Amino acid sequence: MISAATRRRLRRHAAGYAFTGPALLVLGAFLLYPIGYSLWLSLHEWDGYAPQWGPFVGLENYRALAADEVFWRAAWNSILFVVVRTPLEVSLGFLLALLLNRKLALRSLLRTFFFVPVVMSLIVVTIIFQRVFEPNAGLLNTFLRVVGLGDWTRPWLGDPATALPAVIAVSVWKNVGFSLVILLAGLQGLPPDVLEAARVDGANAWQLTMRVITPLMRPILALTALLSIIGGLKVFDLVFIMTRGGPTYSTEVLATMLYREAFELNHMGIASAVAVILVALVLTIARAQTLVLDDAPEAGRT
Amino acid sequence: MSQTGLSRRKLLELGILSAVASPAAIRAGRAAAQTGGTGGVQPTAPTKGPAGELKNPVEFKGPRTKASAPTTISFWQYVGFHVDVQKFIAEEYKKRHDPNLTLEITAFPGLNEQRVGVKSALAAQSSTPDIIAVEPGAYAVDVYTSGSVIDFTKVFAEDPEYKRGFWPNALELLTINGAVVSVPAVTNTVIVYYNKGLFRQHGLEVPNTLDELKKIGATLNAKGIMPIAYPAGQDRNFPIFPYYTYLGGTRADKLMREADLGLKPWTGPELVAGAEFVEMLAKSGLYAKGPLGIKEPDAIQIFATGKSAMFWGGQWMRRSIRAALPPGFDLAIFPFPAVVPGGPKPVLSSVGITLTVNARSKHPDLAFEMIKALTGAWGKIEYTRNLGLSPNGPISGEAIAYQMQSLKDPLYPEFLKLQPTGTTRVIFTPAVEEAVTQGMQALIIGQKTPKAVMESVEAASQKVGPRKFRAG
Repeated sequence: MISAATRRRLRRHAAGYAFTGPALLVLGAFLLYPIGYSLWLSLHEWDGYAPQWGPFVGLENYRALAADEVFWRAAWNSILFVVVRTPLEVSLGFLLALLLNRKLALRSLLRTFFFVPVVMSLIVVTIIFQRVFEPNAGLLNTFLRVVGLGDWTRPWLGDPATALPAVIAVSVWKNVGFSLVILLAGLQGLPPDVLEAARVDGANAWQLTMRVITPLMRPILALTALLSIIGGLKVFDLVFIMTRGGPTYSTEVLATMLYREAFELNHMGIASAVAVILVALVLTIARAQTLVLDDAPEAGRT
Repeated sequence: MSQTGLSRRKLLELGILSAVASPAAIRAGRAAAQTGGTGGVQPTAPTKGPAGELKNPVEFKGPRTKASAPTTISFWQYVGFHVDVQKFIAEEYKKRHDPNLTLEITAFPGLNEQRVGVKSALAAQSSTPDIIAVEPGAYAVDVYTSGSVIDFTKVFAEDPEYKRGFWPNALELLTINGAVVSVPAVTNTVIVYYNKGLFRQHGLEVPNTLDELKKIGATLNAKGIMPIAYPAGQDRNFPIFPYYTYLGGTRADKLMREADLGLKPWTGPELVAGAEFVEMLAKSGLYAKGPLGIKEPDAIQIFATGKSAMFWGGQWMRRSIRAALPPGFDLAIFPFPAVVPGGPKPVLSSVGITLTVNARSKHPDLAFEMIKALTGAWGKIEYTRNLGLSPNGPISGEAIAYQMQSLKDPLYPEFLKLQPTGTTRVIFTPAVEEAVTQGMQALIIGQKTPKAVMESVEAASQKVGPRKFRAG
């Protein structure tokens, strides 16, 4: 029997439930349920073909991953991908945003120019860069030879030492425009009176940028970094198309390993375990970032 | 003179010359593969020939079973450029034999996407698709050993002539636990394309032995021309080509099959010798720099612009290569030279798209009839006439002449000669295939020794444990 107080509370929140209900339903069906399903599947064996899952194996799939050097390689590469890509993407995006926030000739054109890679099809981008990195007639090696740096030529995507940096470089090129747009929007939303006050107080451009603009932009910078980190951790398509994780696993990341285990090796349980670890990583980082932001002094309070 | 630019007589000659229907012709084909290259010239610009000057010489036989009411059967495949010809044959089948039957084709963007889709459908016990395209090797093993598809035992028992229409070496690649799991629509070979003009210009002859190939490589390198464009970075199959080539050339491919099935060790001397060959080739200076960083389009560009004199690749790339060549480029092919003195010239052969029937299909008999239409005697001629790939089995000289009316590429009959000589290039155990791919990559970049590579393949093989299937 529902008490009168509960009924009153329900009535009071009915509109709220009605509005959020569909969204919660979608969230549950397409996000929470698959996560739970993956978690449960990661404790089983399954080849992906049989209608029924295989036996319950507990944490065996996780143990197998812990003993698999390819997993550690993929995990390390994923982390490296984020650690290198995010600072580059955010700092370059911020620099460009600062530049394009000034009154420049052709400013609109330049903004569009830097945003073009973001809207370009990834397939097109990878095809272009495969040609750029091709060892014999590729643009990069040809350029190096022309300027007398022939010793620096490499089979960029075919050498384990350079394949991952090459893929990261493409990723930064493709995504820096996205950071630029978010940060530019942030810059344009800064309170002009604060900036004006700083200028009146005699702050030069460097001081204004470092001591006023950057602290004010901190939440936006953190958001951009968070998006970049999450994007970096779950990167799949770029790596898969450019190198398929090779050569010799030198560009294997968690998402490509997940794919390989699931659809090439038919280890759905192990693939699910990789997925669970990936989700846990993303959630942990997102939560950590939120905590850092919550603890940060309110933006603009200097 | 026909309007196609090739006389009727010439067409028939081409067809008859490359007829591989009889055992004698097969032997002739083998002999051709043993003796040097086969050439060709750039085909004339396509012109619309008078349709019907020559007709498909084979009767389009009717089915044993027909649909009693309007029925649509679904077909999921992964090669977009096959769709038009498949539709054409299905339409003809509908028009001539079964007006109630419609084929609905879903062409996924690629094998990976199709495999994911098929896997999901089979796991969900879906009756769709009725017809599934599968790759030989691990994919075929997966769908068959999980009980997801129906083999061709009954179909072949009812129609032995249909079975005889396939190359035995092609069906062997699709035989799991003694049953043929799927049937090929086309077959393919891997050969060396070469720039005949460049060879002529530098006084080079088609190599018959590995030593001759190495000498050609040294000559070309000295003149600043890369010998072979080899796109080892294309996919996980390409890095294994040299290994398959060596095993074919030393007749150790059967041994590889046994090792694949866990019956023999990968660390045996014959199989380690294959890895040593891969390493030797990588260090020989025969390849364009950094093969693992080269994909098919890049390699084609290198070859088409004369930066390399040879291109190691598949028959399926013939059209892409043709499209990239400048006018006057004299394109020809030769099988890879003998890798050991007196050994055969290894031609890697495989099947293209292969078709099978979903075990949960609501219309399995109709699905089999449709597959027979697509891959049977009449269908195979139409199929390959449209695509320029090799048929799944022998066809008559007359049929080839009919095909040449529209194909107009003198290389086509040359490929047909090579198919019956082909050696396998398929690994059935997924984990072993993965280990071999990674191992060959490591050899190409000099990261591991041949022995270490084969030990890692053997470790992967042992980890799989006893196989639950037999193949071949």
